[in-house]
Amino acid sequence: MTREEIYGKLNEVFQDVFDDEDITVNDSTVASDVDGWDSLEHINLIVAVERCFGIKFTMGETTGLKNVGEMVDRIIAHLG
Amino acid sequence: MSLVSALFLAFVAAVLLLYYVLPKSVRLWVVLAASLAFAGFLGFYTLLFVLVSAVLCYVGGLLAGPSKSNALRNVATVITVVINIALLCCIKYYNVLGLAAERLNLLFGATETSNTFFLYAVPVGMSFYVLQTSGYILDCRWEKIAPEKNFFKVLLFSTYFPQLMSGPMNTYANLSAEFEKAKSVKFSFERICDGAVRIAWGFFKKLVIAERAAMPVNLIFGDHQTYTGLYVPIGVFFFAIQLYCDFSGCMDVVIGVSHMLGIELPENFNCPFFSKTVKEYWRRWHITLGGWLRDYLMYPILKSEPLIKLGDWSKAKFGKKNGKKVPTYVALFILWFAVGYWHGGLWNYVIGSGILHFIYIVLGMIFEPVSKKIRPKIGADKLYFRIFQSVRTFILMLSGFVFFRSATVMDAVDMYAAIFRRGGAALNWANFSASGMDLSNLIVLIVAVLLVVAVDSYKYRPSEDEAPRSAIALLRSKGIVVLWAAFMVLFVATLVFGMYGLGYDSGSFIYARI
Repeated sequence: MTREEIYGKLNEVFQDVFDDEDITVNDSTVASDVDGWDSLEHINLIVAVERCFGIKFTMGETTGLKNVGEMVDRIIAHLG
Repeated sequence: MSLVSALFLAFVAAVLLLYYVLPKSVRLWVVLAASLAFAGFLGFYTLLFVLVSAVLCYVGGLLAGPSKSNALRNVATVITVVINIALLCCIKYYNVLGLAAERLNLLFGATETSNTFFLYAVPVGMSFYVLQTSGYILDCRWEKIAPEKNFFKVLLFSTYFPQLMSGPMNTYANLSAEFEKAKSVKFSFERICDGAVRIAWGFFKKLVIAERAAMPVNLIFGDHQTYTGLYVPIGVFFFAIQLYCDFSGCMDVVIGVSHMLGIELPENFNCPFFSKTVKEYWRRWHITLGGWLRDYLMYPILKSEPLIKLGDWSKAKFGKKNGKKVPTYVALFILWFAVGYWHGGLWNYVIGSGILHFIYIVLGMIFEPVSKKIRPKIGADKLYFRIFQSVRTFILMLSGFVFFRSATVMDAVDMYAAIFRRGGAALNWANFSASGMDLSNLIVLIVAVLLVVAVDSYKYRPSEDEAPRSAIALLRSKGIVVLWAAFMVLFVATLVFGMYGLGYDSGSFIYARI
């Protein structure tokens, strides 16, 4: 799966989790850029991303992701 | 050894001297020796406890690391973390060693008052220590870090003396990076000055404010049969001042000492009493505990299969928007129960520092959609509403402090009942000053608290994600003379107005007893 394809799916996940169809994310998007992305909603997002891509983030990844770019890097690594 | 004692300052001075005079290659050995000596000063059992726990932490980390099979890693993680926490519970909450010492004394023919052979004192401040070392094992298991092969590095991480008793809690990744950095740190007069001002500020908050505010607190909480009605909120208000200046003062000393060594520790407070909501308050008060519990307790619970399944079920039952909140509420309940229990293992802590806050936060989440609709209509961006939010949050915090300060839950309930009880001491100066808080003490307290408010107002940033402004950096920017003048003012003010000295028993930091 290419990075662009991952972003296509990831945008849908973000729009669904945060109930906002206008959300588009990129490599530099961080939690403060998305309305409602707090520490509690973070886990809902992580679980939704895991389900969408059929992967499982480690707890280290769950708590250590700095931005969406890092999330995409980890998704690519898990998809092999 | 109390952090607010001349002995501790002498200890720090000796450590600094050796740290900067001896070759850089032995620097961390100096810090390790100082840390073990400091634990030894706290008592034999404290030293024993930290050594046993450090060995456990080291072995647990190695076994939980990625080179082993998953089954072994899971078993090793669970066993070592459970033993670590069980050690704390046995020693602290159930006083198992105290009981054992008592039995042994009886066995050897001791009476209650004489012939005691086995002395036992509960190690203080070990709750912080246990969470930090457990975090290290979990980090190894979750592959956030590689297990440390050098035992002495783990020992240094777990016993680092400035933060041993009261935090701030740290991760191995952060602290070991700071230790590495410290190896090449050069002596800097500026660094020593900054640290000295920070330590002086901590001493000032503890000895001038917290110890003074404790006078009416002890009087009112100690005798709420007599001190009823308005005395109760007055007592709780003074306790809020006492607790904040006590704990944040302690952090100022800890962070200041560590800064002098070139080892930066995370901030634990960020102007908490300016918070607009309870949720925000907890992101500004005891920040490192909140972060630890979020990363090591709440996230794993929320990511566990049972909670994910509960989320699926509740979404199907209550709709996507409301349903997804159900597992969050469950995780929050477990989190806040743990916060309360961690504070002391008694129900008054479980309620006052846990469950009550869980209720406030969940109510805030439930009413958030309504609040979002109302806010634009009532001018929520205006200053008056901002002040209302902070006052409301402060009052909610006071409601929890009643439980936190009371000896038992029933005591706290009785404190609330005392607000409405008649026939107590009349609200007048003569009765209030029976605590020892005479007019001159009150004036000193008011001036000192206004200084804290002024400093916090300068540091405050509306977003808690933004780093607070540094008052010390501001003073330094005006010149080294201004910085030293500030130090001298704090030093002299603490010498003159501090509550200490012969015949006065300055209480230890409240959070150091946790």
